[in-house]
Amino acid sequence: MALKQISSNKCFGGLQKVFEHDSVELNCKMKFAVYLPPKAETGKCPALYWLSEQNFISKSGYHQSASEHGLVVIAPDTSPRGCNIKGEDESWDFGTGAGFYVDATEDPWKTNYRMYSYVTEELPQLINANFPVDPQRMSIFGHSMGGHGALICALKNPGKYKSVSAFAPICNPVLCPWGKKAFSGYLGTDQSKWKAYDATHLVKSYPGSQLDILIDQGKDDQFLLDGQLLPDNFIAACTEKKIPVVFRLQEGYDHSYYFIATFITDHIRHHAKYLNA
Amino acid sequence: MEEESGEELGLDRSTPKDFHFYHMDLYDSEDRLHLFPEENTRMRKVVQAEMANESRGAGDGKAQRDLQEEVDELVHLYGLEDDHELGDEFVDENIPRTGVSEYPPYMMKRRDPAREQRDWRLSGEAAEAEDLGFGGWGSAGQCQDLREAYRYTHGRASEEYECYVIPEEEDEEEAADVFCVTCKTPIRAFQKVFDEHKEHEVIPLNEALESAKDEIHKNMYKLEKQIIEMENFANHLEEVFITVEENFGKQEQNFESHYNEILETLAQKYEEKIQALGEKKKEKLEALYGQLVSCGENLDTCKELMETIEEMCHEEKVDFIKDAVAMADRLGKFLKTKTDVEISAQPEFEDQTLDFSDVEQLMGSINTIPATGSSVRVCWSLYSDDTVESYQLSYRPVQDSSPGTDQAEFTVTVKETYCSVTNLVPNTQYEFWVTAHNRAGPSPSSERAVYMTAPSPPIIKTKEIRSCEEAVLICWESGNLNPVDSYTVELTQAESPEASGVTESVVGIPTCESVVQLQPGRSYIIYVRALNMGGPSVRSEPATVHTIGSYFRLNKDTCHPWLTISEDGLTAVRSERRTPARELSPSDTHFTRCVAVMGNLIPVRGHHYWEVEVDEHLDYRVGVAFADVRKQEDLGANCLSWCMRHTFASSRHKYEFLHNRTTPDIRITVPPKKIGILLDYEHSKLSFFNVDLSQHLYTFSCQLHEFVHPCFSLEKPGCLKVHNGISMPKHVTFY
Repeated sequence: MALKQISSNKCFGGLQKVFEHDSVELNCKMKFAVYLPPKAETGKCPALYWLSEQNFISKSGYHQSASEHGLVVIAPDTSPRGCNIKGEDESWDFGTGAGFYVDATEDPWKTNYRMYSYVTEELPQLINANFPVDPQRMSIFGHSMGGHGALICALKNPGKYKSVSAFAPICNPVLCPWGKKAFSGYLGTDQSKWKAYDATHLVKSYPGSQLDILIDQGKDDQFLLDGQLLPDNFIAACTEKKIPVVFRLQEGYDHSYYFIATFITDHIRHHAKYLNA
Repeated sequence: MEEESGEELGLDRSTPKDFHFYHMDLYDSEDRLHLFPEENTRMRKVVQAEMANESRGAGDGKAQRDLQEEVDELVHLYGLEDDHELGDEFVDENIPRTGVSEYPPYMMKRRDPAREQRDWRLSGEAAEAEDLGFGGWGSAGQCQDLREAYRYTHGRASEEYECYVIPEEEDEEEAADVFCVTCKTPIRAFQKVFDEHKEHEVIPLNEALESAKDEIHKNMYKLEKQIIEMENFANHLEEVFITVEENFGKQEQNFESHYNEILETLAQKYEEKIQALGEKKKEKLEALYGQLVSCGENLDTCKELMETIEEMCHEEKVDFIKDAVAMADRLGKFLKTKTDVEISAQPEFEDQTLDFSDVEQLMGSINTIPATGSSVRVCWSLYSDDTVESYQLSYRPVQDSSPGTDQAEFTVTVKETYCSVTNLVPNTQYEFWVTAHNRAGPSPSSERAVYMTAPSPPIIKTKEIRSCEEAVLICWESGNLNPVDSYTVELTQAESPEASGVTESVVGIPTCESVVQLQPGRSYIIYVRALNMGGPSVRSEPATVHTIGSYFRLNKDTCHPWLTISEDGLTAVRSERRTPARELSPSDTHFTRCVAVMGNLIPVRGHHYWEVEVDEHLDYRVGVAFADVRKQEDLGANCLSWCMRHTFASSRHKYEFLHNRTTPDIRITVPPKKIGILLDYEHSKLSFFNVDLSQHLYTFSCQLHEFVHPCFSLEKPGCLKVHNGISMPKHVTFY
């Protein structure tokens, strides 16, 4: 798979790069960002996947932490772009920019909107083949819809990720307006298919190895108040199934990158603990 | 200063053969400086340019031209006869200057190049002038002229060359206003734009100042601490000094008397042996003499017989035969008696050896009886050559007070000049006096000597030992009724007690407790001795310390009346019993409101880690607090305590992290059964972990200006158990 480097900037002793490639799953050109810490020059490093908008790479201030802990941070795009599907640009919470990390089954989305497979299969294979990463040590985290993506990827693939964490994730999409809109569009009306991509439901049947989940949620987050995120449901399910979660409701913080920037160091340390063990 | 550097320069550099070094003193120092300030600049610039290997040909040429101009000036003004030569010499100066590269280290400094330059110029002159050496300048008068010439040029030069002065000089107006982090130097803002600072990180000077101040403040704290430590150490050293002197005095005295004793014993033995030898000699001689006498007698008898036989031979036959028979008998009898021709006494004597075994024993016995708490070895010597049959040693304890009660007096009779007195009371002063006895009666008593028995060994309070990875706090009971002078702590590493034989001692401890620095990850055996004038006590019973993790016990003195602490000080139990909700009187030491207990953590900074085992359904608070936290309040309700609180109600677990009554909003889905607590003084943090899951729960940032102690409280009946001596697990190290 040919990778085209779009940009490269030195940061905290490492390199922040952006690449573009032709995606097989998504049938279009996809960009992703890769941060290579100084340690990557001399050896293989663990990989940490971040799911959210591309603004992450410049706005969230993760580079110092990633550099110190020696982690390669990979940030794919939120959805396929430029696929020329009718209606893809109509709303900001569906279609372009809002792939919801599912493999769509409905037309006209099913050809391109296969973000779940992209993130869990194609992208890791690409990264492992082209960058100095250790394929056995991988973790995932994300923000908002990306938080949802991180949680479902981890819960659907027990043992694949060493740790998972999220900022203001959409914990129970099946029950919130965003989720209902997206799932009905991508997956059709059969709600049983929706549950396969819902973190709260997945937890209830999670059989697998121990996960240690860290979630930060801004208390003043508008979407929390609007009932889009529904963390309580997730926590209740985890308590029931004894999945370890530490959920922190942060006073005064909202949904923005300022919130992410404040706590990103804690999250990276959380992942480093498992990736560098 | 210039002379020095001039000389230094001359001496340090490997002087090229052609250059003559001569004293710069010839030229007045003021002159020298004033001579070429601008010259300095120009020359230096040129020199630096050359150093930078930039062939600023133009500059060089310019310098040359300037110099030429100046020379021409001189020539013109003074009409020096050999001006041309002089000019040439000057011009030619430029050539040796390229030899600058031979002396790089000097060139980099500001003023040195100028001086070097001057050196060279002058030495160059000398070189040119060859064997003229010092006199290379020619007449003194010429020197004078030259100096004046230079002075004149200086006047001119300052006008001419002012504009050539590059602002590398210190310009006070343009102070640095930003700070280059990369080079760690203050620079002017515009310098950031070019030069080597182009790509570097730059911060405003104020910021740099602030951060520098912070650094300094941090270090100041460390310095203050060090000052205190050093002062303490100095005090200890003084005490040790005094102890050393005293011990030396004692040893000296002892050794002297023992040495004398040994000499006496040796002399005595010598006498005895000599006497024995003499007697042996007498014996031998007597035996030999006896032999000689009998030999003589034998000889006489033989001779007599011989004569008789000869006479017989001249007699008549009949008489001869009568006598011959009798003679034959006699002869036969005589010859039958054996003549002992064996020498009865050998002339050799056995080699006399002195038997040292008892001397050794004497020496040995002096050393093996240490000054113990209950015995003293007293030695004395005889003042004159009188005959003494025995000595009588008397002693009694010294009492400062109550002269009325006479202390019992004891007496021991000995033949030697020393005696070990036993069954004494430790840590007590006794006075001793000796009288010598012979047939005529007792002597007057000697002066009274005061000896002090060594103290009894202290008793280490093993239950109260607290330690961490870097130190241990030991306390003990004195073991003596009366005060002692000081205590000594001795420690050996447990792994190789005999092998290494190295015991560390801490001496001069004034109180019954001590904090001792240790290495992490080892086991130590600790003893304590008490010390007084009589010497050290025997070692106390040992105590073992492991420097893994931190050890502490729950302090019964702080615990709320409703809590019971186990014997080992690690479990706290709140029983089910119904207790009346009466108001407990406020106390400074016991918790009265919060049913809590405090642990005694060693007051050493660094980091400490311990674990608490709890029941899932238990309502508890675990955390830390300052020693003077108000015991009438709940843990976490004030700013002197921090804790993690768990309440279990309606099947729901609620977790709070309290300090000053506030808590963040945190939900934890899996209730921890074992909580790991990390106290980090260095980073001012207190962290809580779920040990079984290696899960981090929460971290407080807390200002710990004093030492804190672990605290535990039980809000409902139940029990919690503290686990100690655990080294920090890896997952904790990330925090």
